[in-house]
Amino acid sequence: MVYGTAVGLGCLVGVLGVPPFRSSLPPSPSPARMALARARVGAVLRQPAVQAPPAAWAELQAEVAMVPQSWPPLVRNVFELVAATRGLTTGGRPDRSRAESLCHALRWSRCDRDALEQLRDRGRP
Amino acid sequence: MTRPGTRTRWALRWVVGPALLALLAARLGQLGADGRRARLLRSLGVPAGLSAAEASALEVAPSRAAANAAWALGSPDAVKETSKWELDQLPSTEVGRRVQLLLRFGIVDTNPDGQAAIFGQVCAAAPTVCEHLKDAAERETRTRLVAPGNHLPLFFIAGHPHVPSL
Repeated sequence: MVYGTAVGLGCLVGVLGVPPFRSSLPPSPSPARMALARARVGAVLRQPAVQAPPAAWAELQAEVAMVPQSWPPLVRNVFELVAATRGLTTGGRPDRSRAESLCHALRWSRCDRDALEQLRDRGRP
Repeated sequence: MTRPGTRTRWALRWVVGPALLALLAARLGQLGADGRRARLLRSLGVPAGLSAAEASALEVAPSRAAANAAWALGSPDAVKETSKWELDQLPSTEVGRRVQLLLRFGIVDTNPDGQAAIFGQVCAAAPTVCEHLKDAAERETRTRLVAPGNHLPLFFIAGHPHVPSL
């Protein structure tokens, strides 16, 4: 009973990443963590089409939010538009309504569906 | 009264043993969680181990995506700001990209003197591109979907690319 509880508690602590059993990088936006997030999101952005399970996209979601945190507002908004057209926070499916509203908020001259589809491809780094 | 040996055995059995087992299980749990996370990221195309050069190249990719998106559809302000943001982060070795961003910056600039100064920077950074500046600018204009910037600026059409800083 005691041994079983110890194993159970230990596993839980390890899986949840409770300190000191946290992964090598802290979840807080330290410079190293931010750099890793940028590199990971950059790797995803470079690919033309990504097919991945929902859990993988969920894993990326926090990093997508972390990337533009210290960016100038305009650049951040453009990045969020790219993220919406690529579906980075919606399981890889383009979030068209968010993309449209972000595009309109940027006051760009073309925010139609066709233009945003093209932006999806042309925005690839 | 319990003897010291019995107490030690009791402590080893019910305190130290379970504690060591819990620590081991926690470490295994952590390794399992890290492995699962790495597998998920690999399914997104994120490499497990990145060299410093690869990481550095990938790090700039999100700001490059923003700059490319702004170039495709954005206002001149968005083009300038996103290009400047990427230029600030770009390693000095990426001359080609630097030149491309400067060209875009110059194409959407409405001030002829400003354009000349920017194209002068292009020439200073890449003399070979400078020899075919108009062609390079034209290639860029073809990738922009909105005006201004989807056609060659008057700077080139007038037929006398004047680069004062050379």
